[in-house]
Amino acid sequence: MYTYKTGISLIDEVKGGISPGSNVLILAPSMSSGEKLGYAIMRPQEGEFALVLTTVMRSVDLLDFFSSEEFNRDAIGVIDSVTKLSTPDVSDTTQVKYVSSPSDLTGIGIKFSSLVESIFNGEFPPSDQALFPPPIRFYIDSLTTLLMYRKLEVLYQFLHVMTSKLKKMEAIGIYILNNESFDERTLSLMKQLMNVVIEVKSEQHGDFLRIRGVPGAPQEWVQFKIHKGTLEMVA
Amino acid sequence: MIRTGITGIDEMLGSGIPRGTRVVFSLEPGVEGRMFMMRTIASALSEKKNVCILSPHCTGRVFISECMEILEIDILKLGGKAVILDSTVRESINSREKKVTSRKLAWKKLIEETLEQHSIDVFFVYFDLLYEDLGLMKALDLLPTARERDRVTTVVEHLNLEGDSLISRFASENIFDLIISIHSAFTLVPFFNFFTLEYVSWARIPRRSIPYTVAGRNIRLYIPKIIITGPPASGKSTFVSNASDSGISVDRGDLDGYRTTVAMDLGWLHFRGFDITIFGTPGQPRFDPIIPQLVKNAMGIILLLDATRPDRFVRAKELLDLAHAEKLPLVIAVNKSDLPHQMDEVTIRKVLNLRDDIPVFFISALKRPDVHYVVESMVDRITRHPY
Repeated sequence: MYTYKTGISLIDEVKGGISPGSNVLILAPSMSSGEKLGYAIMRPQEGEFALVLTTVMRSVDLLDFFSSEEFNRDAIGVIDSVTKLSTPDVSDTTQVKYVSSPSDLTGIGIKFSSLVESIFNGEFPPSDQALFPPPIRFYIDSLTTLLMYRKLEVLYQFLHVMTSKLKKMEAIGIYILNNESFDERTLSLMKQLMNVVIEVKSEQHGDFLRIRGVPGAPQEWVQFKIHKGTLEMVA
Repeated sequence: MIRTGITGIDEMLGSGIPRGTRVVFSLEPGVEGRMFMMRTIASALSEKKNVCILSPHCTGRVFISECMEILEIDILKLGGKAVILDSTVRESINSREKKVTSRKLAWKKLIEETLEQHSIDVFFVYFDLLYEDLGLMKALDLLPTARERDRVTTVVEHLNLEGDSLISRFASENIFDLIISIHSAFTLVPFFNFFTLEYVSWARIPRRSIPYTVAGRNIRLYIPKIIITGPPASGKSTFVSNASDSGISVDRGDLDGYRTTVAMDLGWLHFRGFDITIFGTPGQPRFDPIIPQLVKNAMGIILLLDATRPDRFVRAKELLDLAHAEKLPLVIAVNKSDLPHQMDEVTIRKVLNLRDDIPVFFISALKRPDVHYVVESMVDRITRHPY
């Protein structure tokens, strides 16, 4: 069975990575490195693809970020829910699809299907190590924004459908949520859809993560750094 | 009447949507079904209707650019008048009115004034955020009332996150006059889309599901495979050829000098709003191993018999068994019935052990109207069949 490496040795060494169909929730306060951690886990390995729903950054800025962090941009598709708010006439490309706003769940679902179809149809630039089914990492950056636009129950139902699709595709989902902005009920409902929860905190001398939901993995806080989009655990 | 602009649907509905009715397009998440609503908007505007579009999820400018992207049409240049109540209206109401009841009243007043002031013929509603802001019943109350409905046709699009239970409720409580749900058969990827005509109040149309493709900014209803099978020399190649707008036949001369199909006949036709692909099987027993493969994913089977050759019944029965025809819509066409023959329907039904609901037509495959009549019956059965 294919497993998705996370770059987090606590997961990769104990379980060999994340199993297909899994969902990983990153709970991170604002001003922490949670978002960057999400992108580091989303980073596609050789033969893999990544899809990202951005509700924060415009796709053009996101693609610049991927270039600067040395991600393989050919293997990444973007659903951009930001740009149309300021540039209504922007048009879809093979790898970048636009939706009208983060509230447009209809559009998000359609563009997700369209990008997945493009990957399966070989419309993304070919990789030297093509795998079938193509391993796909799907990252939502972030649930915090989506929850500002849509009610919790609606978003839960939508994510329920999306996670079922990811399971069928043998893909994984990665989601980031600001745990300071929402009550316990919201966090609890979101956790119900997840297999792994990674908590993040920032302290004066660095960023720390703690893993929940991986049997056998240590559960204490561990320091991490992100360099060029790659995760490094500090011994 | 307004037309959806989707030929097959308009035909099924008896030329479109009657004035004053309520319609809902209910979309499953992830399925490209936005074109149903947008096509209907474009169709209404092309017919010079005055329309109001309630799109609380985006600004009017974004909505128009999305229509442009999906339909490649500037909907504002189609002739009719379009009034858009967009996300700025929702933001204004939500910031002004804090209680759900007062929000509902504000929407109601605005909608009634807009419909009246602009003499609106068709009211298009993107329903999700209204549902979320007000709850289902209050949001439904915003749709034109029975009094107004004599004049205003209402068309709603919503993302159905609640599944069949919501559709059943819409149908059982007569909330809408036409319910069309839009789905995708999803394995690893959505491998085909289909819509289901769930309920129609103004006509006796059974619940039916039909695949569709999005081609050239249009929705084309699609039947990916109809199989024509039958004993050798029963006229399958002629049938496929006369049924099709274009096609190919793989025939070779056999040892007796007759032409015989060695792999398949293939034909394409656009018929009553449907794109249809027809596969004709070989009739010779030596090709039997390929028939189960040809039949895979077929949506219906037409069995062709030769009216002058009752001795070929056994072969016909073998082919029906090979094709597992009992699981699919089946139509029997008895070809060469313009020649002297003794075959009759009772005998055919008895020998082939046919159910009463399977139609038997006596035709000549040389006559295109006969062939099209059989295809029409097949299409009708496919659209009623619960796959």
